Amino acid sequence: MPSPAIDVRGLQKSFGSVRALDGLDLTVQPGQVAGFLGPNGAGKSTTIRVLLGLLRADGGTARLLGGDPWRDAVDLHRRLAYVPGDVALWPNLTGGQAIDLLGRLRGSVDPVRRRDLLDRFELDPTKKARTYSKGNRQKVALVAALASDAELLILDEPTSGLDPLMESVFTDCVREASAQGRSVLLSSHILAEVEKLCDTVTIIRRGRTVESGTLDEMRHLTRCTVRATTDRDAGVLAGLPGVHDLSVDGGSVTFDVDNDRMDQALRALTELGVRSLVSNPPSLEELFLRHYGDELAARNGAGRGAA
Amino acid sequence: MNTLTGTGHLIRFVLRRDRLRMAVWTASLVGLLAMTVPTLAEMFAEPAQRMARAAVMATPTGIVFGGPGYGLEEYRLGAMVANEMTQTLLVALAVMSVLHVVRHTRAEEESGRAELLRANVLGPSAQMTAALATNALVCAVIGGLLTLVLVGNGLAAADSAAFGGGVALAGITFGALAAVCAQVSEHARGAGGLSFLAVGVLFMFRVVGDIAERGGSAPSWFSPFAWAQQTRMFDDLRWWPLALYAPVIAVLFALAYSLAGRRDLGAGLVSARPGPAGAGPLLTGVFALHLRQQRVSIAVWTAAVALFALSFGTLVSEIDVMAGQNPELMARMGLDATNMTEGFLGMLVLYVVMATVAFAVLSVLRTRAEESSGRAELTLAAAVGRIRWMGSAVLVSVLAATLMLLLGGLAMGVGAGLVTEDAGWIRTVAEASAAQLPVVLLFVGLTTLLLGVAPRLVGLVWAWYGYGLVVAVFGLIMDLPEWLLDAGPFQLLAQPPTEEFDAVPFLAVLAVAGAAAAAGLGGFRRRDLVGA
Repeated sequence: MPSPAIDVRGLQKSFGSVRALDGLDLTVQPGQVAGFLGPNGAGKSTTIRVLLGLLRADGGTARLLGGDPWRDAVDLHRRLAYVPGDVALWPNLTGGQAIDLLGRLRGSVDPVRRRDLLDRFELDPTKKARTYSKGNRQKVALVAALASDAELLILDEPTSGLDPLMESVFTDCVREASAQGRSVLLSSHILAEVEKLCDTVTIIRRGRTVESGTLDEMRHLTRCTVRATTDRDAGVLAGLPGVHDLSVDGGSVTFDVDNDRMDQALRALTELGVRSLVSNPPSLEELFLRHYGDELAARNGAGRGAA
Repeated sequence: MNTLTGTGHLIRFVLRRDRLRMAVWTASLVGLLAMTVPTLAEMFAEPAQRMARAAVMATPTGIVFGGPGYGLEEYRLGAMVANEMTQTLLVALAVMSVLHVVRHTRAEEESGRAELLRANVLGPSAQMTAALATNALVCAVIGGLLTLVLVGNGLAAADSAAFGGGVALAGITFGALAAVCAQVSEHARGAGGLSFLAVGVLFMFRVVGDIAERGGSAPSWFSPFAWAQQTRMFDDLRWWPLALYAPVIAVLFALAYSLAGRRDLGAGLVSARPGPAGAGPLLTGVFALHLRQQRVSIAVWTAAVALFALSFGTLVSEIDVMAGQNPELMARMGLDATNMTEGFLGMLVLYVVMATVAFAVLSVLRTRAEESSGRAELTLAAAVGRIRWMGSAVLVSVLAATLMLLLGGLAMGVGAGLVTEDAGWIRTVAEASAAQLPVVLLFVGLTTLLLGVAPRLVGLVWAWYGYGLVVAVFGLIMDLPEWLLDAGPFQLLAQPPTEEFDAVPFLAVLAVAGAAAAAGLGGFRRRDLVGA
C-alpha cells in the first residue's frame, strides 16, 4: 500500500498558554477525499498550517506525501495546492495575474484548464483584487489550485464565501479532481458538503480527534432513528437495552436505537403489529451534534442539544 | 440627515484609543522645549557666544534648520528659542497631525472598520470631523503647554503665546491638508505619502524664500511653515501673520468635506480600472512580486528625494553672497565660502541619508504586512522557501535604497555644480552620500534581524532612528556627552566632505549589516509564520 498523502499522529501545538492542538490524528489515503470537521477554533486551520510548514509542531508527527512538512516544505509544495479560508490577495494585481503568479510559483499553470475554470466559476480575471468580494477572492485561489496538476489539494473552508450555484460548481470540481486520482483534504463546517463529497471524515474538538473513519463506519457505531406505527402500545420498548429517547403518541412511536441493538429492537417491534416503519441512518449533522451536543446544551442553558 | 450625528461619541472614542500616543507626543515635544530653553540660556550666557551662534544661524544651514532669522542682530534667549526651536516643533507637529488624521480617516475606511461604524447611527462626516477635532485639540494643548514652558522660563507672555499659537495653528493646518489627501487615495499609505510630499514642498518654499532674503521673501509666504515665525516673536511682535492660517484651514476643511461628500465609502477619487487578464512574462517569481508591490513607492520616494536634493543643492549659490556681505564675521569664525559650502552640503547629505533610511525600513517592513494580511501564507504555500521569500524582499529594499541614496547625492551635486559652475561638486557630493551607504544597509539588516528573530520588537528600529534624528539635530546645541552622540546611527561613519573618508568603519558597518540580515533570514526560516 502506498504511503498516506497525509499522516498526522498526536500533533501538538501551543500558542503561549493556549493549546491549539492537543494530540490530533488525521490520515488521508491517496486518492481519497477526506473531510475535516470541527467548529470554529477547533484547530483545523492550525493543523493545515502545520502541514504546510508555516507553523512548527511542538510534538507528535506529521508526514505529508511521504515527507516532513517543515523540512521539505518547498519540494512538497510543488506537489500540493492550497486554498486558505480567508484569501488575501495583492490589491493592485488583477485576479488573472494572481492566478498566474501562484501557478508559476508552484510550477506551471495549465492554460486550458485555467480558462475552463474561469468560465465555470464565472470569474472576471481583469478586475483588480481590491475590488473583489470575499467569494471572488476565494474563486481566484480555487482556480489557481484546481488549474494546477497538484496531487494533493488542501482546502480550508473553501466555500464559505461562495453562493449555492458556485458551491455546486465547486462540488463538481472536487469530484473531478478525485476521479483523476488526486487526494483532497477538505476542512469545513458545512456538513452537507462533507457528506456529499467525502470518503472519510475526521471530527476534531479542541485540538483533538474525537471520531474518524468512513461515514458508514461512523454510522455503525451510532444510532438510527426509527419511526413506526403499531397496533399495540409501544411503551414496552422503553425497557429494551440500546433504545433511547422513546416517545409514543397514540399509535405512532419514535425512538433512537444503537446500531448493534437494532435486531432486538425490531423483533420487539414486530410483535406489536407494525403498520408502517421508517428507519433513518444518522445524518452527519447528528453525528456531529452528538459530539458537540453537550457544548450546545451548556450554551443554551438547558434543554437537549442533540436531535 | 444630520451629517455630524455621533461626532461626540467618536471624539471620545478617538481620545480613548489614542490616549497613550497623544500623551507621548505631547510629553516629548513639551519636554524637548523644557529641556532646551535652560540649556540655551546656559550655553550661550555671554553676548559674544550668542553673536557667534547668530552668525551660524544666518548661514544657509542655519536657515534650513532655523528660520527667517528675526532677532539675530541682538541674539537673546527669546530670539534663540524662536530661531532654534520653531522649525523642529513645526515639523514634528506636521508629522503628528498627518499620521493622526490619516489614521482616523482613510486607514479606518481601508480596514473596513469605518463600514462597521457607518452602519450605525453615525453622520457621514462624523469620522473626519472627529479626526480633525481631536487633532486640533492635541495641537492646542501642545501649543498651550509650550507657551507655559516659555513663560515659566521668564520670557515675555505675549511673544510666548505667539510661539505656542503659531505652532498649534500650523499643526491644525497640516491636519486639514492630510484630510484632503485622505480623500484622494484609496490607501492610507498613499494618503500619508501624498500628505508628507505636500508638507515637504511647503517646507521647501519656506527655505528657498528665507535663504533668498533675511526675513523671508515671496516664496516664504506661500508656506504655513513661515507664518508661525513671521510674527517676529521676541523681536518685534506682530500678530497678523497668524491670521493667514484661518482662511487656509477653512478652505482645506471645505475641500475635504466636499470631496468626501462626492465619493463612496472606501473609494478614492480615481476608480480602479480593469487590468490584464493574465500575468506578463516578468511576473514570474517572488523577487518580481516584491518589486512589483513596491514599484510605485520606490519611484515616488526616489523622485522626491532627488528633487529635494537637487533644489537644496542649488541653495549653495547664496553662500558666496553671504560670505561677500560679511567677510569679517566669516573670518572670525574661521569660515570661508568653500568650507561653508562643504559644511552645508554635508548636512544636506545627512538629510538624504535620513530619508533613505526611513524608506528602507518601511520597505523591509512591507514583509510584515504581507505576513499579517495572509498573503505571505498564500505565497509560502507554493514552492517558495522562506529564505528566498524574505531574501528577495530584502534585496529589493537594498537595491532601491542604494539607488535612492546615490541618486540623491548625485542630484544634490548637480544642483550645487550648476549654480557654482564647478562640476567638481558633483563628484564631491556623490562620494559624500556613497560614504553613508553602510548606515542605510545597517538599518535594512537590523530590521530584517528583528523581523526574523523578534518581530514584536521591530519598533526598536524606529526608536534608534528617532534617537539618531534628535541627536543629529540637537546634539550640537544641547552639549550632550560624546558617547550619547556616538550612540546615534548617523554619527557612525566619517562624513565627507568635511571629514576624511575612513574605510575601516565603512567596511565594519557593512559587515555588521550583512551579518544582521543573515541572522534575520535564519530566524525567519525557523519561526512560525504569524497568521492573519
